[in-house]
Amino acid sequence: MKSFALVNPTTLDGALEALRAAMDRRGRSKAALLAGGQDLLTELKEHLSEPEVVVNLKGVPGLDAILVEGDLLRMGALATLSAIEGHPAILERAPALAQAAASVASPQIRSVGTLGGNLCQRPRCWYYRLEEAKCIKKGGAECFSYSGRNKYNAIFGGGPSYIVHPSDLATALVALDASVVVLTQKGLQTTPIERFYTLPSEGSILKETILKPDEILVEVQVPLDALARASAWSKFKERASYDWALASVCASVEKDAGKVNRARIALGGVAPIPWRVPAAEALLVGKALDEATIAAACEEALRGAEPLSENGYKIPLAKGLLTRVLRGLA
Amino acid sequence: MSALPPFPGAGYPDASLLAPAQDVGAKQKRTRKVKSTKVVDGIEQEVEIEVEDSGGPEWGPRESLKVLDKELQRVDGPVKVSGRATYTHDVRVPGMAWARLLLAPVASLKVARLDFSACKAVKGYLGHEVIEAEETRWLGQPIAAVAAETSEAAEDCLRAIVFEWEARPSVLDREAALKPDAPQVSRRGNQGKPAVRGDEAKARAAIEGAPHKVSATYVVPVVHHACLETHGAVVDWRGGEEAVVHCSSQHTFGFAGDAAEVLGLKKGNVVGLVEHMGGGFGSKFGFGQEGEAAARLSKALRRPVHLMLTRKDEFRMAGNRSGSHIEASAGMDAAGRLVGFAARAHKHGGIGDGSLSGLPYIYKCAESWSEISGVRTNLDASRAMRAPGHPQASFATESLIDELAYAAGLDLLEVRKANLDDQVWHRQLERVAREVGWFEHPHRARPGSAKDELCVGIGFAISRWGGGGGPSCEVEVAIERDGSVVSSVGSQDLGTGVRTYVAAIPAEELGLPLSAVVARIGSTRLGNANGSGGSVTTASLAPAVKHAAWNARQAFAEVLAPLLGCQPPDVVFADGAVQAASGGRKLSWKQACAALPEAGLRAKGAWQAHLQANGVHGAQAAKVEVDTLTGRVRVLHMACMQDVGLCLNRAATRSQINGGMVQALGYALFEERVVDAALGIQLNPCFEDYKLPHSLEIPKMTVVLDDEDRRAPIGMSEAPIVPGGAAIANAIHNACGARIRSLPCTPDKVLAALGKVS
Repeated sequence: MKSFALVNPTTLDGALEALRAAMDRRGRSKAALLAGGQDLLTELKEHLSEPEVVVNLKGVPGLDAILVEGDLLRMGALATLSAIEGHPAILERAPALAQAAASVASPQIRSVGTLGGNLCQRPRCWYYRLEEAKCIKKGGAECFSYSGRNKYNAIFGGGPSYIVHPSDLATALVALDASVVVLTQKGLQTTPIERFYTLPSEGSILKETILKPDEILVEVQVPLDALARASAWSKFKERASYDWALASVCASVEKDAGKVNRARIALGGVAPIPWRVPAAEALLVGKALDEATIAAACEEALRGAEPLSENGYKIPLAKGLLTRVLRGLA
Repeated sequence: MSALPPFPGAGYPDASLLAPAQDVGAKQKRTRKVKSTKVVDGIEQEVEIEVEDSGGPEWGPRESLKVLDKELQRVDGPVKVSGRATYTHDVRVPGMAWARLLLAPVASLKVARLDFSACKAVKGYLGHEVIEAEETRWLGQPIAAVAAETSEAAEDCLRAIVFEWEARPSVLDREAALKPDAPQVSRRGNQGKPAVRGDEAKARAAIEGAPHKVSATYVVPVVHHACLETHGAVVDWRGGEEAVVHCSSQHTFGFAGDAAEVLGLKKGNVVGLVEHMGGGFGSKFGFGQEGEAAARLSKALRRPVHLMLTRKDEFRMAGNRSGSHIEASAGMDAAGRLVGFAARAHKHGGIGDGSLSGLPYIYKCAESWSEISGVRTNLDASRAMRAPGHPQASFATESLIDELAYAAGLDLLEVRKANLDDQVWHRQLERVAREVGWFEHPHRARPGSAKDELCVGIGFAISRWGGGGGPSCEVEVAIERDGSVVSSVGSQDLGTGVRTYVAAIPAEELGLPLSAVVARIGSTRLGNANGSGGSVTTASLAPAVKHAAWNARQAFAEVLAPLLGCQPPDVVFADGAVQAASGGRKLSWKQACAALPEAGLRAKGAWQAHLQANGVHGAQAAKVEVDTLTGRVRVLHMACMQDVGLCLNRAATRSQINGGMVQALGYALFEERVVDAALGIQLNPCFEDYKLPHSLEIPKMTVVLDDEDRRAPIGMSEAPIVPGGAAIANAIHNACGARIRSLPCTPDKVLAALGKVS
């Protein structure tokens, strides 16, 4: 990796200041934020990112807190994935979140990987990850996966880039109706997590979120309501140990007298953002979760998918996962 | 790959045929008594039995062995698991420079500019060597090497080289290579001369006349050796007449000469060292371009140079197992016998020719024909990889046999036996079938239904290998006055357990525990040894160790006989003590060794044909669960039965067989080199995207060592990697009817085979 200066602020103000100082006149940043380092180091080693300054957040106290305040779960951006997967209140009141955290990578990585790092990680598309393939995500002209080897790429929301967002927690948090708290240079700003992520056709092609280079994701909030309590997660990995999702599903269903009141469903590994499927959610409302309803919801969830040459299998796969998740919630 | 040696057709030869020729007339036949274990009414009893003493080394009856054929903890286990073992990667010598290679980033290119001026300005730059200044014709071909004070500076130097090129037309896959107007990979063209066996017309007629016939194409992709230690060397030359070269190599005596040539030294003045090495699987025989680059830099700098490939470099330039594309047809009669087989096969070995075993694989067939040729592409040449060419041939043959058996409605196990004369395979197949629950399995002649969400299936396959040795090893066993015993030979241990049996064999011979013998290996300062490939090491080395140990015992007996009041042949070495066979005075090992002269005792040993054998079989069964909703394949159980002759270390042998099964599971379900033909690059040159099985993928594994085989030791380590892949693919079909003819059997292919992908 390229040499850089390491800055170790002990307050968020200090971190903001360091980010501000690293902006050039044209608004470009020479800095990168370091939390657990599990994604950043892979970027540095392959020279995908060559910051001059690395701002280490680990010295800021309290950012790893996990608090339950009444019906609100507040997780600091530096909470580790292993802390989330084992947290008693999360296990009980938002089980899908704990399951999603537990499905990430390996125990070693989860013990240092953080919530904020997981949500802000860069794509895993092999074209993106190889320095020699100057793809559209790296300022090139083309998304090579479109006509190339696209088994792992998007079936929804693609164009002009066809990456899938790699964060498992993001998918779960969309289904749980979570919000992210971002510290901007002007103060704290709370945003529904769905609006945090941007499609390649909407935001900048060079990034995946609305986060600006001089901002810091500091907290994630999850309402611990009946919906979160009845949530479930399923991630399908090609290899059970340490792999990314070929597809994943998070669903939360609030029922009353056997009928669905409210449902939220998000698919992971299928689109450049966590892919919410409102039509399938709507289809469930007012119905019991029987096999026919589940089958109809699965059809609805995958309607409109546009597979590339090698990833058509993601349609039956995602349907299969959603079938199992909804059966488990019935 | 060399052709397999002649193979015993039916069962094993009588053990007596393997005994050495004896000079019966010269003196009366000697016998000696040995202690053995006998089971009477289920209770083990120690008994004394009389065995022939031919006057030369013998392995002796299995039942009498105290060290060999037992569960031995490997002697280098503790240093390996505690991180104290020094691999080539770990070597640090004073003044050492760090080197890196610049590789061709695309499949074929013409160098436009190669400018080192910025590189020279990098802090820590020491020097560079140009390897290829004009043009390259395979992805990953080395272009230059740089050396610097630190590994970080070496990387900075590498990136500071101004390297510009023009991409040239290239072909990266079979289809592109065979097009009439395809860019030519080499002057020899894109296709090698076909090797033809059999009469095509007769084979096709036999197939045509058969009641059951199948035609299909079976594809195996290129896979990688994935050695945990990458290739590379540390060349320690600081000027002067002598050099020491550490190399991650399968042939300790192979690379020192190459290094000497580059350094301009006499071969005898270059010491080769392989103290520990992290896997080779056939890819680490030569010094390689990486070794030569290290030597050139060392020569230019007059400093030691450390050059180990990065993981990405390793994937691109350090070899692979060739892929195969086999169009096969076969016919089967009503009794399940193969009556005709015809195959046109292409090997995909990059710029090399690749390898593919004969077709059909092992099973007999009345009329068979095959035409095998290599198809060249602009990728690095394949190298030998554990049983070169066998897994590919096994996958096609075993898949085809299954397809025919289903067509004929026959039992999958019985069909195999109907095409094998050798009874060893019969008993091995039956045993692995029993291990995985075949005889209670509901789908023995028809696959299960994909209507079930979770389906369980079983598959079978077999293997063979030569595994005999030859004369090459020179072993010394030394006994010192203080009681220490050192067994030494220059051979390398690839992780196979060589070091352990180099100590265990003298321990057995001298009546000592394994811990009493020190093994010294991995250096050209020690006795010569063969390269470890083709499973020849055990059968080449073990007899020489045995011979040296036996010679040491004979010489020691000469010293001890007067002390014990007996003749030398009557000195018994057992349980850490020596005594006359008739009893009387007993000396502890330490006391006995004190009788040696100051210099101790040294004995040499060389290969003995009668102390090894040749030709192993092997059978595997795999039981899998297929999730038809997602395409997930979970291997539940793999069972292997393997003959090995006399097993030197049951724990290490089992471990090696387990390793073969895990590698087979890997290429069956996960492994494949993925390239982008348009960009001319490999997309998965790392362990994240090149998927190997990890801990959660490992099924229940059962290893049954075939103790009915009473022959002398045989190398068997190639055999266990062969059948597992075909067995798993067959088990997937048996579970749910999804026939996958192209490895690896990934979930997308399972779903497609089930008709779920539109």
